[in-house]
Amino acid sequence: MSDTTSLVVSDGADAELSPESLPTVIGWASAAVAIHSVRRIPTPVLLRLDVVGYGSVAIDFRHHAFHWETPLERFPERPGAVLVETHPTTPDAPAPFDLPGRDLDGLLWLIGQHAFPTRAATWLWGDDRYRLRRWPNLAELPISLDQVRMTAMLGNAAATPAELAAAVGAPLPVAQGLINAYSLMGILRSAPAEAAPVARATSTPGLFGRIRKRLGWA
Amino acid sequence: MSEHVVLFAGPMGAGKTTAIQSLSEVPVVLTEAANSDRVTADKPTTTVALDYGVLTLGGDEQVRLYGIPGQRRFNFMWSLLKRRATGMVLLVHNDAPRPFDAMLEYLDEFGDLYRKGGIVIGVTRTDVSSRPLLPDYSEVLHQVHPDKTIPVFAVDPRDARSVGLALMVLVANLEMRAAFVRDPEAVPV
Repeated sequence: MSDTTSLVVSDGADAELSPESLPTVIGWASAAVAIHSVRRIPTPVLLRLDVVGYGSVAIDFRHHAFHWETPLERFPERPGAVLVETHPTTPDAPAPFDLPGRDLDGLLWLIGQHAFPTRAATWLWGDDRYRLRRWPNLAELPISLDQVRMTAMLGNAAATPAELAAAVGAPLPVAQGLINAYSLMGILRSAPAEAAPVARATSTPGLFGRIRKRLGWA
Repeated sequence: MSEHVVLFAGPMGAGKTTAIQSLSEVPVVLTEAANSDRVTADKPTTTVALDYGVLTLGGDEQVRLYGIPGQRRFNFMWSLLKRRATGMVLLVHNDAPRPFDAMLEYLDEFGDLYRKGGIVIGVTRTDVSSRPLLPDYSEVLHQVHPDKTIPVFAVDPRDARSVGLALMVLVANLEMRAAFVRDPEAVPV
């Protein structure tokens, strides 16, 4: 990575700062805001997250990959501090780690789940409706079956977090966490003009439950 | 008896037979024959008719798992099954010569299932070949079928949980399509 260090602050502006001047921010919120901002920059940018006590995460969006010595099974839900560095790069420059690295979906799911617990991410509005642009790589996510059903709903209808929670009978924070994470992953689109989802009277969501029981999955 | 027919389709070497073996509660009925096309898939045998396995849900309700041959010269078998199919797990191996073309061919062939939300795409052998990336599959799908969001994720046919997740996603997508999309082709499962 280059020597340039910058912090993407929560209003989206880039500020040239030395590492010594970085403020201490508890948790993943600043990292989530930085990731959300960087994904919107049209030129390639590498990201480095220094997670105090857990080493550095290198993210290369060009390859949809990351490298972190810490396995995601030991993901710290509330780290003491996460320092963010951005590094401009070029489309053909080498990745900062050996490819293929790890699928970025798994990391962004966890950051999105824990950055804004029980509330909407700072860039989202709680009463907006969202639809899925693409499915996440479920093989990389520690996802519950309720969340699988929420994902399927977002693939077929636009919904607010509250509508999503009601449709599958899950608590609102679970639905909000899923929306936060998918938004961070860049796989949602806002669909404010779409009408509220209305279940057809003929729907009988029963086979899913019976297979779930047969496979012994919680 | 209540039966749900789930097809496992995809090009030769994608892992269809292995996936059914991972999920079936009975020994899978195999119709393997010597593979005369070692260029397309370097394996000694390939499915020539159908693989068959079953998952009993309780009482007389079953999910019947059919693996259909990956070689197009056997595609007369496809038409026999697709009319009865609830859904399909389409497996595409990431190290195939043209994985996108293979994926689109099957979606075209099984258009009725696709329209009712009855197709899940499982990309296999991502441990052998990391390219193309999974979002690339979704991008290709979006260009060709911008009106639908088809589930795409990595599947390991050797892993019962991974194959089971593909089945769960398939059913979840069918149920949500039937529940929320005002589409006469979307029927409750």
